[in-house]
Amino acid sequence: MSWQAIARKDFQDAVRSKWLWALSLLFVGVFALPPILLFYLEMGATPQQGEAGTTDMFVFLMKQGTSILIPLIGIVVGYTSITRERESGSLKLLLSLPHSREDVVFGKVLGRSGVIALPIALGFAVALVVLLFTSLSLKLANFLLFAALTALLGLVFVGLSVGLSAAASTGKRAMVAAIALFVWFVVLWNSFANQVVNALVKYVGISEAAKYETVLFLKLLNPTQAYKTLVDAFLMDSALQSRVYMFGIFKRKTVAQAFGDSLPVYLSDPFVVAYLLAWLFVPVAIGLWKFSKDDL
Amino acid sequence: MTAIEIDGVTKRYGDVVAVRDLSFEVEEGEVFGFLGPNGAGKSTTINILLDFVRPTEGEVRVFGHDVHDESVTVREHLGVLPEGFSVYDRLTGRQHLEFAIESKDADDDPAEILERVGLSAADGDRKAGGYSKGMAQRLVLGMALVGDPDLLVLDEPSTGLDPQGARQMRDIVREEADKGTTVFFSSHILGQVESVCDRVGILRDGQLVAEDSIEGLRETTSADTVLHVTVGEVPDGALAEVRGIEGVTEATHTGSRLEISCENDVKTSVLSTLEEAGVEVEDFETEEASLEDLFMAYTTDKQEVEA
Repeated sequence: MSWQAIARKDFQDAVRSKWLWALSLLFVGVFALPPILLFYLEMGATPQQGEAGTTDMFVFLMKQGTSILIPLIGIVVGYTSITRERESGSLKLLLSLPHSREDVVFGKVLGRSGVIALPIALGFAVALVVLLFTSLSLKLANFLLFAALTALLGLVFVGLSVGLSAAASTGKRAMVAAIALFVWFVVLWNSFANQVVNALVKYVGISEAAKYETVLFLKLLNPTQAYKTLVDAFLMDSALQSRVYMFGIFKRKTVAQAFGDSLPVYLSDPFVVAYLLAWLFVPVAIGLWKFSKDDL
Repeated sequence: MTAIEIDGVTKRYGDVVAVRDLSFEVEEGEVFGFLGPNGAGKSTTINILLDFVRPTEGEVRVFGHDVHDESVTVREHLGVLPEGFSVYDRLTGRQHLEFAIESKDADDDPAEILERVGLSAADGDRKAGGYSKGMAQRLVLGMALVGDPDLLVLDEPSTGLDPQGARQMRDIVREEADKGTTVFFSSHILGQVESVCDRVGILRDGQLVAEDSIEGLRETTSADTVLHVTVGEVPDGALAEVRGIEGVTEATHTGSRLEISCENDVKTSVLSTLEEAGVEVEDFETEEASLEDLFMAYTTDKQEVEA
């Protein structure tokens, strides 16, 4: 298969770059540092009386960091993937061989996914080993689910940024769009969601429950929020609880009352996963469409 | 069978027309030299052939396949040395060849190809980022040879090569042609192609201004000889008499030199006419127009040629 050859070449190429290893080191540091710190603090201390914590605590804390770091790295890994080849002329080598432009985009998504998945896997592996030496009792299933979701988030942002790179005609444009993308998702989205809902309340006069549902829906369309609430969903008792948790601490009670004991289907876990995956496929499709009709 | 059919191709970039209603064909097994000065539209034509750019109008077919609709099929038959490429800096020469072999589903031995294009095994194990332009050119020629292509497309293949490298390149083109491979290559220097081409097309300002075999071109050019004559006095009317000879196209007089363009076989009658008219011929030399002159004539501005 053609795109697999491209993915393999792309990964081979990336593995030889120093920054992939710098990235691995960063991830190992980020994931392993908290447990190492905990281990250090516990040394010599008498074991606590009563129940000790579990690794769920680690997961719960870590997801804040990963929800910012992984998108950032995903974008950095992907946004030059096609523009760089286009500007240097190596794309001409690639497309002189019997590869279609689809093969190039899919191969890049796959290759760069490997580039981000490898350091993530390494970081989690090291963190796991260190956690075994702390007093936290291991909840392996949750830990692995967290690792898998984190890898998926990485994949989504790689897809987004490769799609962007395919659509952009120059590296500079891809960079500007990549920065905008990151700021939009990580910084601006929530206030955007709130503004929209406030406007709806003001001009359309939607009900209280509809207001919470809409704001939740808008927030869930943000891949970083979708990721966080999915992590919470398996840490907490129910998906409903994790959705309610997306609201500020003082609002949670009101929101919980508004929802009652059931979650609308479009706010349930499978739909959240679908929203997350849409961010992987739609930008790739748009990027491919643009890339396929461009003159190189 | 026709290897390449270019059918009424026009490519516009905004107001600029890079290629204008271009049509020609290259037969299977032929070595076709695609000539023209830089900016004539050679690379645009080749880029259309490779589906890197899409024509504004017209169609290109390779072995009967449309180069856009069946681009991958077309490139399965192709070996390409593109212009303005760059190699993957972090991959070795050998990895480049392995990638080409995998991409073309071929079973070539990278070591053999390295040797064929004049790269050592040690070169093959080095990262291509450290290659000189000439080495990169050899490597990519090697990638083009992978899978024994039916058509080799070489865009300015001698770029960056030293004379020895250029000769090796020509040898490889000849070997491939002997195996029956069709070769289509572009150059802005006629000298590089005349020894290997069966036929050439000369492109200027996006249009084909000549299309002929090398022999055909030679015949056209050998018709014209320039006679340089060093003279003393030139009586009035002598030049007019020379111009009157059938086969003389031009006669000019500057200082002590006469320049007469004529067909090769009227040289002697030109000289005898001059002497009869009372011109003192001190010395003369003849200069046969080379292919290069013809090429220059086709590709430089008309006025410059006549001046």
